[in-house]
Amino acid sequence: MAPFVTTLILLGLLLVVGWPEVGLWARWQRVQHLTERVMQEDALKYIHKCEMKGETPNLEGVAGTLHIGRNETAVLLDKMQQSDLLQTKDGQMHLTPDGRKTALHIIRAHRLWEHHLAQETGYAETEWHGKADRREHELSPEDLSDLAARLGNPTHDPHGDPIPTAEGEVGQHGGRPLTEQPLDTSLQIVHLEDEPDTVYAQLVAEGLYPGMRLRLIENGTQRVRFWADGDEHMLAPIIASNISVSTAPAEAAHVHEDVRLLSGVGVGETAVVSQISPLCRGAERRRFMDLGILPGTVIKAEMRSPSGDPTAYRIRGAVIALRQEQSNLIYVKQA
Amino acid sequence: MTTLPLPNNQATTADDILKTAESLRWEVGRDFHERLMEDVYTEAAQLADRAVTYPQQKPRFDLDRTIDRIVTSRLWGFPMMILLFTLVFWITISGANVPSGWLATLLVDMGHPFLKGLADGIGLPWWLSGLLIDGIYLAAAWVTSVMLPPMAIFFPLFTLLEDFGYLPRVAFNLDNMFKKSGAHGKQALSMMMGFGCNAAGVVATRVIDSPRERLIAIITNNFALCNGRWPTQILIATLFIGSTVPAYLAGLVSALAVVSVALLGVMLSFAVSWGLSRTVLKGEVSTFSLELPPYRPPRVWQTIYTSMIDRTLFVLWRALVFAVPAGAVIWLVANVQIGGLSLAEYIINFLNPLGLLLGLNGVILLAYIVAIPANEIVIPTILMLTVLVTGSAGGSGAGVMFELDSNAETMALFTAGGWTLLTAVNLMLFSLIHNPCSTTIYTIYKETGSRKWTAVAALLPVAMGFLITFLVAHSGLF
Repeated sequence: MAPFVTTLILLGLLLVVGWPEVGLWARWQRVQHLTERVMQEDALKYIHKCEMKGETPNLEGVAGTLHIGRNETAVLLDKMQQSDLLQTKDGQMHLTPDGRKTALHIIRAHRLWEHHLAQETGYAETEWHGKADRREHELSPEDLSDLAARLGNPTHDPHGDPIPTAEGEVGQHGGRPLTEQPLDTSLQIVHLEDEPDTVYAQLVAEGLYPGMRLRLIENGTQRVRFWADGDEHMLAPIIASNISVSTAPAEAAHVHEDVRLLSGVGVGETAVVSQISPLCRGAERRRFMDLGILPGTVIKAEMRSPSGDPTAYRIRGAVIALRQEQSNLIYVKQA
Repeated sequence: MTTLPLPNNQATTADDILKTAESLRWEVGRDFHERLMEDVYTEAAQLADRAVTYPQQKPRFDLDRTIDRIVTSRLWGFPMMILLFTLVFWITISGANVPSGWLATLLVDMGHPFLKGLADGIGLPWWLSGLLIDGIYLAAAWVTSVMLPPMAIFFPLFTLLEDFGYLPRVAFNLDNMFKKSGAHGKQALSMMMGFGCNAAGVVATRVIDSPRERLIAIITNNFALCNGRWPTQILIATLFIGSTVPAYLAGLVSALAVVSVALLGVMLSFAVSWGLSRTVLKGEVSTFSLELPPYRPPRVWQTIYTSMIDRTLFVLWRALVFAVPAGAVIWLVANVQIGGLSLAEYIINFLNPLGLLLGLNGVILLAYIVAIPANEIVIPTILMLTVLVTGSAGGSGAGVMFELDSNAETMALFTAGGWTLLTAVNLMLFSLIHNPCSTTIYTIYKETGSRKWTAVAALLPVAMGFLITFLVAHSGLF
């Protein structure tokens, strides 16, 4: 039995070291990453965010954002003052022009990288923010202008946040919290807050996206209900307050209440494409368009696989099988 | 030069224009690229709808749907699939035996002595005729006789099914199973092709148009037990596994052992697909779509011709290119001597501790190293090296690969080499789970264009093979 025990111990050691995210190797890499420069940049980002919101940044807030102690934070902020990134006026922290420039660079890096992850990779939505949080410290301004050019100089990240330009100009999403809106008006989501992770994960799970049209049905202290993309959604007010909306443009004022998902079309039924969900991005969206799935295209569900999924659809004379996750991304109307 | 139609002509500079553009950026809307593209596509589609007329083809379409309803029905879909593929494999195996035997007799049993005699006749030095005829010629002859007949039968049959339009329906039926492990339904096809030859299986992944799923299919194709490895499995199972049960059960039990190894390969390929799609391949782009083309009568002669040229001869040529240097290396390690011992013996002594730790031995590990170019020559190499190490009678001399006519003689040689049931079981496992042959590795590099993924595809199975054989060796079962 002795060799068997040795084997188990070896295998155990291998797992302890190599396990993704909690293994020793992964931990060591994370510690390596938390250098002082990264902490300074994260602090600048936090202070900039406070200034944009009109709040007063303080030491506790910085310590909380960086997950470090107060003393450590004080030392860090002191160093940042000495290197002329921060200045204190009337007991309040302010960004110097250099500090603001760095903060905007990091924000630009973060949002461009999120846009890249959304358009050019297969990572799930809930992973974008964490990955961009790490990558933002590694990109130079030259990297960013190359990346921006490749992505077609996007103005907003996938959450609806404006991407600062290389010159440091930044627009506003101009939205107001959903919870402050009147009932029964036509609204449009302009921004989804991606922090904290758990709240964002719920917004993603509801299938919400910037640009989605909606109409409030109920706005109470217990729950917020609204109608969007042919479906009723219900959220806790604390979660709904992370959605920013603006008044929908007049020409698109109607909310599609007669649309449904392609996955809801039964075998033998016919429907007309209304739109591809904006949640469908990058290569997958282009593939759909290549296949001829465009507003106005007639689609007939032909047959379903004996294992229940995928389903084959007749699209412009060709028979194409799509999986359920994909037919959930296509909105259709009655033929 | 014309003036720009902007207000305040004299004050208009490049900077002003850029500034105007910059401020307009925020007003055009965040998704104007997408909207523009969608409008272009929609406009194009409408133009096409207005301009293109289709001749009446409704009856064709109805016939296709009728066939589809049968081959994808809940009741008939799966049984038909199993029946068809069993038939294809049966035709391949039973049909390839005879020509394989002819080729072996012609190239190995008759060709080899004839060439040796010819070499002696013209007075070639022993080392040159050894290197050229015992090493290079024999390796090439072996690879050809084992590889050519099954592939020449399997590939045309497979291509006929493909040409008829049946294979996409198989992917459609099986997709749900593959989806659960993060793979594409068409991986069923590249896997099936992999049972014929992994290099051809890797090429067959071209039908998978989603980048992530295609990489998964390429990396896991090696777990489909290829044609070059079946003979090893069958020989070892017959000698060692079959002999553990009463004689009347031996055939059945050894057949079951081989089938279990092949099924283990299929399960491993699902497990590895699952693991890859959730770790290293998570960030690759994935776009599923599966076209079910119209059925059409297969063009038999054209199909046989193209599948012979594109698949069979292509793969055979690539295998021969790699087998030639392998033959030379095998002959050299057995014949180059330093201080009374051959190079092979030094390497085997060096590899023995690792081999025994894995429940194998140094001879097997060396055979797998020199036989990286082709799995077909693993058994002949093992036999030759065992004779060399044990000094037993038999064989045809150092560096000359051979196979024995009777199983009893082969078994006696293995026993002399110190083989046990554990060695046999681990050899069967290691034959399934080790690096792909160099033909396949090269094909993977050609197909992915990436050293990184080629390295993953080559090293991951070896690491898994070491781990699994090690665990089996120390499990206390043997």
